[in-house]
Amino acid sequence: MDKKEKTRKKGLQFSVLMCYHNTAIKSGGRRRARRKKHMKKVRIIALVLVVALCAALFTGCAKKDSDSDTAYVKKNGKLIVGITDFAPMDYKEAGSDEWVGFDADMAKAFAKELGVDVEFIEINWDNKAVELETKAIDVVWNGMTITDEVKNLMSVGNAYCNNAQVVVVNAAAADQYQTADSVRSLSFAAENGSAGAEQLDLLGVAYTAVDTQAKALMEVASGSVDACVIDSLMAAAMVGAGTDYPELTYTVGLNSEEYGVGFRKGSDLVDAFNAFWKAAYDDGTVMKTAETYKVQAAIIAQ
Amino acid sequence: MSVLEVRKLQKSFGELQVLRDIDFSLEKGEALSVIGSSGSGKTTLLRCLNFLEKPDGGQIIVNGEVLFDAADAATQQEKQIRKKRLHFGLVFQNFNLFPQYTALENVRLAGELLAREREDYRTGRKAVLAAIDEKARRLLDQMGLSDRADHYPHQLSGGQQQRVAIARALALSPDILCFDEPTSALDPELTGEVLRVIKGLADEHTTMIIVTHEMQFAHDVSDRVIFMDGGVIVEQGAPQDVIDHPREERTKRFLERYSGN
Amino acid sequence: MTFWNVILTLAQGLTNTTRLFFLTLLGALPLGLVICFGSMNHWAPFARWAERAAARRGEETALTRFGKRCKPVSAVVKFIVWIVRGSPLMIQILIVYYGPGLLFHWPLLPRFSAALITFIINYACYFSEIYRGGIQSIPKGQQEAGQVLGMTKSQIFFKVTLLQVVKRIVPPMGNEFITLVKDTSLVRVIAVYEVIWMGESFIKKGMIWPLFFTAVFYLVFTAVLTALLDLAERKLSYFK
Repeated sequence: MDKKEKTRKKGLQFSVLMCYHNTAIKSGGRRRARRKKHMKKVRIIALVLVVALCAALFTGCAKKDSDSDTAYVKKNGKLIVGITDFAPMDYKEAGSDEWVGFDADMAKAFAKELGVDVEFIEINWDNKAVELETKAIDVVWNGMTITDEVKNLMSVGNAYCNNAQVVVVNAAAADQYQTADSVRSLSFAAENGSAGAEQLDLLGVAYTAVDTQAKALMEVASGSVDACVIDSLMAAAMVGAGTDYPELTYTVGLNSEEYGVGFRKGSDLVDAFNAFWKAAYDDGTVMKTAETYKVQAAIIAQ
Repeated sequence: MSVLEVRKLQKSFGELQVLRDIDFSLEKGEALSVIGSSGSGKTTLLRCLNFLEKPDGGQIIVNGEVLFDAADAATQQEKQIRKKRLHFGLVFQNFNLFPQYTALENVRLAGELLAREREDYRTGRKAVLAAIDEKARRLLDQMGLSDRADHYPHQLSGGQQQRVAIARALALSPDILCFDEPTSALDPELTGEVLRVIKGLADEHTTMIIVTHEMQFAHDVSDRVIFMDGGVIVEQGAPQDVIDHPREERTKRFLERYSGN
Repeated sequence: MTFWNVILTLAQGLTNTTRLFFLTLLGALPLGLVICFGSMNHWAPFARWAERAAARRGEETALTRFGKRCKPVSAVVKFIVWIVRGSPLMIQILIVYYGPGLLFHWPLLPRFSAALITFIINYACYFSEIYRGGIQSIPKGQQEAGQVLGMTKSQIFFKVTLLQVVKRIVPPMGNEFITLVKDTSLVRVIAVYEVIWMGESFIKKGMIWPLFFTAVFYLVFTAVLTALLDLAERKLSYFK
């Protein structure tokens, strides 16, 4: 009998004992008979509740041990990918309803290899770990920076892409802010809980936390802060000539980091992904897709 | 056989005993006035008769049928109480008209709802409802309110509202019509019109119990008077006896307070 | 992105917002009545025992006093109402959506359904208190008048009490409706794409005015609601 069985039995014994204890206290013939009937009802209800609770806990635990994540996804018939709108990784072309991008295309390929459909769901980035754990999504594939915290919460596939957290400032003032020291005097904005925010914490620089990286850019463009720290990939796509923010540019990189794909903690999909990626890298699919989205320089060799 | 017989009725609220061994009977067509100071139990007596309170002891017998017996639980079942209430009608001190219905609708409403339980309702619905409507109009006419039939209670004076309430109680043709201080909430000017209506009903030999503070009215209109004090009937008899020549000390003291007006 | 493209995208979010609003009302208005009756329920199973025990002993003890006052149905319902009204709606949304998966490893409800269920329960509890206040503010004489006229309990409620209660509760319910309109934006926390989420999606493209424009939708919605509530009050003003 394992520990769960033992505690369950103990619980049952205890509740039964309490019922008899209550019956024993009161004496007196007819009253005792009535109370016995009443306590029998109470006992039955208590039993049912205890059994129901244990059953729930039991099935919960049982599920965790025996199910393979890959089998679950295949049974479900689809791979649910949690993303946010983040060019060039996952985004939609104007007028189209289809998610494209480097991450989106590779996710589609992975799903195809697993033999299932793919479904993209825009999620609240703050909740990504809970979304994974509750099986609302199966994988986070959205240019997610691999940090210790992320590794604690999920099982991460092999790093596939380089990234840096870069400082974005007005192009006019860019020359003065080419080093990490030079930017200390500026007022900053960064996405709450992002790797960029982490870098600013390491530098010891205060910043305004905003919802998304896009909002951080907006803060700089509007002049409410001097600079912001965002992913270099996003910076490459969104600032400078030919973008929505031509007056901005990015200068110093505060760190270098890697992107990874996140699965449920302990999931066996990680191995499937690593195998898939190695094969895709070897046969050139990865680089070809990267070139479509102009991120080939950042791809990590496998 | 009396229309109403009340035997040894008792009622307590917690520790306070409000009715002690109330015994009286009422003949058909008789108008009975109940007088006494506040707290003597008059209102509680009416409420017990109308099954708004449950007596702790005693019996209520209407037309020979035991409607309530404190000792017999079978008479205390909720489902029958509704039907038993229909033997009585009650006119409240503060009218309690339904504000969202016109005067006519107020009078018709209970009748229409009760008619649904009749067997001939489904087949002769129109006829049944027409009869109820006609009766309601007749009653309002009897009260002198035909031109106010489509007015809402808030558009009527206090006296008019009370007259609608009387019509509403009469619409169900109760065996015994009860009045709980019907003019106490009215201005002196409006009191007259309501008392006139009640006198008219008494002239038609409607069986009534009237709880009132209007001594002159009780004296002129009723066939019998009961004086209550401290939850017991102190004296009962013809109005000339009780009001003009009271025998009991307590009755005399009570009437002295009122003779000043 | 032309103006109309933006409006169309926002309209998609607006569909979710309005669906949530109407379906919540559809569920919460009747459920509120059920909860209201539950919290007003006066079933006191120990009352008779307590009275006899007090009589036997000749005095009241704390236990007999409790026994007389103990109304289990009412107590349980009031406890639930306290929990639901006393905790933030956002947290309730998170619990209802993620809870089954986190605690029992059960499959999750669809996002919109989870949000809808949370809203219905939450608003039903608020409504139940408004109903209770309305019902208890009707003079007892109204009920007694119905009783002496031989009306059943349900006849009294539907034919006498209900309309008077409705008239009394239109202003506070109006407040709740307007609060509901704006509370719908909370569902973004479990990634239900309501109108503010859609408005924010344009920020990534550098446009902030769509977000401010969502305020226009809310203002229009609220204006329509207010007009309807005024109409209701006017229609009910034929009696006092």
